[in-house]
Amino acid sequence: MSNIEQDRPPALELRSLRKTFAGAVAVEGLDLTVRAGEFFTLLGPNGAGKTTTLRMIAGLLPADSGEISIFGVDARRKSIDAKRITAWLPDEPMLYDKLDPLEYLEFVAGLWGVDPRVAQTRARELLETLDLWSHRDERCEGFSRGMKQKVALAGALIHDPQLLMLDEPLTGLDAAAARQVKDLLRERVRAGRSVILTTHILVVAERLADRIGIIARGQLVAEGTLDELRSLARASDASQKHDSLEDVFLKLTRPTEKAA
Amino acid sequence: MIARPGGFIWLLRHDLKLNFLRFRGMFGDRGPWTVASIAALAFVAIHLLCWPVAAWFVKSHGAAASVGAYYPALACAALFVMPWMASQALMNSTRALYTRGDLDLILTSPMSARAVVSSRALAIAFEAVASVGVFLFPIADMNALLGGARWLAVYPALMASGLMATAVGLALTVGLFALVGPRKTRVVSQIVATFIASALVLGGQVVNLLPEATRGSIWAMVEHPAPGSLFDPNIALWTPVRAAMGDSRDLAVWAAVSTLAFVVAAVAFGPYFMASAVRSAGAAATAGPRKSARRRDFRVGVAASLRRKEWRLLARDPWLFSQMLLQVIYTLPISVVVWRSPGVGGAIGLAVSPFVVVIASQISASLAWLAMSSEDAPEFLATAPVARSQVERGKMEAVFIPLAALLAGPLIGLALIEPGTAALTAVIAALAASSTALLNLWHPMPGKRSQLLRRHSQSKFVGLMEHGLAMSWALVMALALYGSALALAPVAIVAGLLWFNRPDKWRRAAAPRLALAR
Repeated sequence: MSNIEQDRPPALELRSLRKTFAGAVAVEGLDLTVRAGEFFTLLGPNGAGKTTTLRMIAGLLPADSGEISIFGVDARRKSIDAKRITAWLPDEPMLYDKLDPLEYLEFVAGLWGVDPRVAQTRARELLETLDLWSHRDERCEGFSRGMKQKVALAGALIHDPQLLMLDEPLTGLDAAAARQVKDLLRERVRAGRSVILTTHILVVAERLADRIGIIARGQLVAEGTLDELRSLARASDASQKHDSLEDVFLKLTRPTEKAA
Repeated sequence: MIARPGGFIWLLRHDLKLNFLRFRGMFGDRGPWTVASIAALAFVAIHLLCWPVAAWFVKSHGAAASVGAYYPALACAALFVMPWMASQALMNSTRALYTRGDLDLILTSPMSARAVVSSRALAIAFEAVASVGVFLFPIADMNALLGGARWLAVYPALMASGLMATAVGLALTVGLFALVGPRKTRVVSQIVATFIASALVLGGQVVNLLPEATRGSIWAMVEHPAPGSLFDPNIALWTPVRAAMGDSRDLAVWAAVSTLAFVVAAVAFGPYFMASAVRSAGAAATAGPRKSARRRDFRVGVAASLRRKEWRLLARDPWLFSQMLLQVIYTLPISVVVWRSPGVGGAIGLAVSPFVVVIASQISASLAWLAMSSEDAPEFLATAPVARSQVERGKMEAVFIPLAALLAGPLIGLALIEPGTAALTAVIAALAASSTALLNLWHPMPGKRSQLLRRHSQSKFVGLMEHGLAMSWALVMALALYGSALALAPVAIVAGLLWFNRPDKWRRAAAPRLALAR
């Protein structure tokens, strides 16, 4: 994993982000910076606030307080400008069963105002990359979950977003499909785009991410490269070895006695 | 009888409980006792409403009148009831095939296919009987109270009819499955069921269109039927009617024939039905993919994208299309009746225009619900860089353009006869369509597209408002055609309804709408 140079412009900046649901705190004072061209993975146990955070960035949930800046655009005040350069892919693909992949991509491109000729070329490239070109005229209703997820990913990429957010994108994918998705995401990062991904699969974070953020109980408890996280875990508990991300993750997300 | 776990009675109890839970679901989050109390109160209220009907029967014919005195009315009732119950059974049988629910679990249990099908079929019969009995039993009860105890025979006769209708429904479902395959059966059966249920309405329309003399001669044949003819109450066809009138021999025959039909259907079709259920689960995976139409270049624009998407989804769902067109078909017979009524004197405008207005409001409400509330990917739309107003405008265009195309035919036809009336109708129909579409925009009721006809179970209030708007606009239309200034009164009602439903009032109190950008 390469370290991302600090002089790259920030793709995403969260400052003191807070969200509550009926009094229950989901995200509490979250500060986070993801840089342009960075692959950032957000890890955390169930209910830690990962999805809520992504949904606030995507403009699906209003934050109670705090700041969200996407490539310098205040996403809370200028949400349309922010949405223009972002894409969000949830764990459950949001498709129209009666449309075929090309029709779906045409619809998405229309919403994002992509030039039709550019969109058509990109749609073909994406469907070919994801092995969906031969299914381009088939309605999505007959697709497997993995195929639907790939169509949704193509939709998320059709407008070439600067910042791509993916919530558990590998859930339900077979090994080959998962590899295609991972390759595509790596390619995006190489092209200078930023990717934020939440996952439960620690090995994915270990292999793909430039930096990893660990979120627990709505707060960012640690962030850095894998080596930095290992050092952090060792520093907080010198008696134990913390070599794998799993060890680090469990150590850093374990409730403190006070919290428990 | 003790319900042994895993036994037939135990499973039947489970299936009836599912029926009740579905029924309860129509009342939102209300508890079981509240729902039961509401149902009981409604049942009592229907009894009270049936009192005048029963009193009229007794006054007309006397409590101890012969079967023949009631025969025309009961025969007509049977003609409505049997197709209705058969259509209910067909739809519910198909639902049992395709709604996985607990079926996968039951299919992996050691229960026999026949027991499972018999239990499901009995639950279907129960639902079919209940859907009709809620209206017929109170009439029978009131007549029995007024001295005609034999009216209580309606109970067993209707139950037997429910068994027969369910047997027919099962046979039709299995037949369709074999004929058109697992993928198309659901849509085809829903369309067939709706047409069966509407057959009598359509039939009534045909009768109304007949010349006066022909209708008179038909009525004469009903009143004085030739022995052995179709209208002879003594032929086998009318056994259910005679059974309902308390003829013990016919009741026994009808009950025996229906039970036999039900048992034969359950036993004969049980294993095939269960095998079909398994096949239906894999239908999407095993059947060939559905291809779209010819490929063409991408087009540009937010509104155009939204319109195209909505139209494609609608065009590829023939069941939805048929449901909306049936709303038109159901309205036509009333239009014909009005046209033929003495007060109207053949004025085509007065007969057609109010119904065009009603159709416009109903279709517009349905399309608006499909576009606004049953959006498959609302969160995806919310992440698009498009203002909510732009999305709403695009979707409204998707509603109004097909509606305009649908109404163009009758309006052009009307314009050839009464141009002024046609213009006025177009204006009022547009206003009516806008009002019901706005109501659906302001009060979305999220649901799946397949729930189109049951969408008001989520909010009876919105359903009531929708009908209120449609009826008010129809009244405006009728009064305007009479040139009456009273037409302003229903306009005021419409304005009041819309003001009462204005979004700002509800937005403060209700949960926030979808977080689309402003």
